[in-house]
Amino acid sequence: MNAPLQEGIPAVPTIHAVSVIAAPGDTWGIAGPDFLKFYAITAAVLVVGALIFRAASGGGDGQANQGITPGRVAYLRGGAALAVTSSIAGLRAAGALAAPEKGVLATAGPYPSGASRLDWAVYDAASRQVRQRDLLADPGVASALTELRDALFAAGWLRTPAERARLRLAGFLVLLLAALGVARIVAGISNDRPVGYLVLLTIGVVIAGALLLIVKERSRAGSRAIAEAMRTSRHLAPTNAPAWSTYGLTGAAMGVAVFGAAALWSADPAFAEQAEIQRQLGASGSGGGSGSGTSCGGGSSSSCSGGSSCGGGGCGGGGCGG
Amino acid sequence: MIPGDYGVGIGWRPEIAGFVADLPGLRFVEVVAESLHAPARSIPDGLRDLRARDVAVVPHGVRLSLGGAEPVDPARVRHLAECATALGSPMVSEHVAFVRAGGVEVGHLLPVPRTRDSLDATVDNVRRTQAELPVPLALEPVAALFDWPGAELDEADFLTELLDRTGALLLLDIANVYANARNRGEDPLHLLDRLPLEQVAYVHVAGGAEHDGRYHDTHTDPVPAEVLELITQLCGRCRPPALMLERDGHYPPADALRAELDAIAHAAGRPLVTA
Repeated sequence: MNAPLQEGIPAVPTIHAVSVIAAPGDTWGIAGPDFLKFYAITAAVLVVGALIFRAASGGGDGQANQGITPGRVAYLRGGAALAVTSSIAGLRAAGALAAPEKGVLATAGPYPSGASRLDWAVYDAASRQVRQRDLLADPGVASALTELRDALFAAGWLRTPAERARLRLAGFLVLLLAALGVARIVAGISNDRPVGYLVLLTIGVVIAGALLLIVKERSRAGSRAIAEAMRTSRHLAPTNAPAWSTYGLTGAAMGVAVFGAAALWSADPAFAEQAEIQRQLGASGSGGGSGSGTSCGGGSSSSCSGGSSCGGGGCGGGGCGG
Repeated sequence: MIPGDYGVGIGWRPEIAGFVADLPGLRFVEVVAESLHAPARSIPDGLRDLRARDVAVVPHGVRLSLGGAEPVDPARVRHLAECATALGSPMVSEHVAFVRAGGVEVGHLLPVPRTRDSLDATVDNVRRTQAELPVPLALEPVAALFDWPGAELDEADFLTELLDRTGALLLLDIANVYANARNRGEDPLHLLDRLPLEQVAYVHVAGGAEHDGRYHDTHTDPVPAEVLELITQLCGRCRPPALMLERDGHYPPADALRAELDAIAHAAGRPLVTA
């Protein structure tokens, strides 16, 4: 817009480039360095504010070692599918479930003590000879899973959809700032002004905004609970070939919760095969209906041995525990 | 001579590490030495936690071949010594058996022919081993499902002389004593009374089962009442520093395993380790 003026006075742009005083040649009437300063400070404030906002949420009640149950850990790590697999493993170790025939579950013994509400629902479904693959859709099991999920919301180990939307807002604000940067770059270029620093800064803001849009469903408190479960469950690692009949209902369920379905394969391969439990953690394919589809761990349980390694990139964007 | 008073213990196995860790009164475990790799650099978490609780951990070798005609492998002796050092063990144990001959691995613990020559060879091997070990060595006679022909000494004499000449301790497998006596139609107390019981470092207790008229010391079945009774008889004659359950497979539910430990404690008149 001011281009004709600049053309008339060739020496002026170089002077303006180092000037801090607004001058007629400045884009939007703001000197480049001033805008850069304003932009950088605003970006920093927004991003830091967003990080503080995020840190304040998801910390849970600070008691990550309270209420750690196999069902909760399994749901956190692999969603509904792993929770059900973990429950089956526990019931199997307790002698309550028979090896399924042609994918149909059946009970083999009395209902064991120390079982959870989900265990009860799975046992009940087995007594009605529900097919393994229909387990997640079984009304009793589905309602136990909903209850489990609500308990995880209440404990702050999973973020509710509303909370995740709120946290994403910060990302949108930062992206708005990025849009302002882009507008200024376009204007600056058409104004024949140097825009190099602003381009670099805007790229940073775009990246920050995009990253802030990623809000995992599992909170930090949830990750801490998983880490705590792992710390206390090292003896259940498949490399120890754990004696599941000795560890019983809770031990076997926790083994699968922490180390994935690979744990069930190592302990009871015949059963795992009959039960159509995929070697990959938590039957990732079959769990799709319930929105699980976890990508954690892949084929081997050991790659998932660190709590944090599962919360990172591989499981970002709500892939885990979804 | 005999180290400490540990009460009832259990064979530590990775499969039941979590069960063992949950025994509140536990003061003694045994670990198969060959299952520990590079003990000087790392020992399993479960054993480290037990050591932190001051539970004694005794390395139990199964591949040294003390009863072989050739000298023991120095590398295997060194491994035993490293295990003892890394675990701060009060002693180590091995079998009076051979597992290889002329470089061929047998894959089993075979009984030593009870001749003067093989006694001399075994004494030499035990002394070579003791010279490298930082702690006392306890020797466990193996189950003899058969006897080599041409025996010049009987089992008790062979063992007594071996212990006398080497100063080694005795690791008494009470289930083995029972199995041998029963399969030979003898009274287990006769053998017990001829053994140097004051040399007992600790006692192995294991379950077994009868197949085709013979009793097998399986380590995968419950401890029979007769073996528990023999423990009571033994403890009426001496006070073993420790008695431990050897379970090597078909692990039962935790309650059943705890009940076995309690039964051993009651039979031996020792405190319960499960409470």
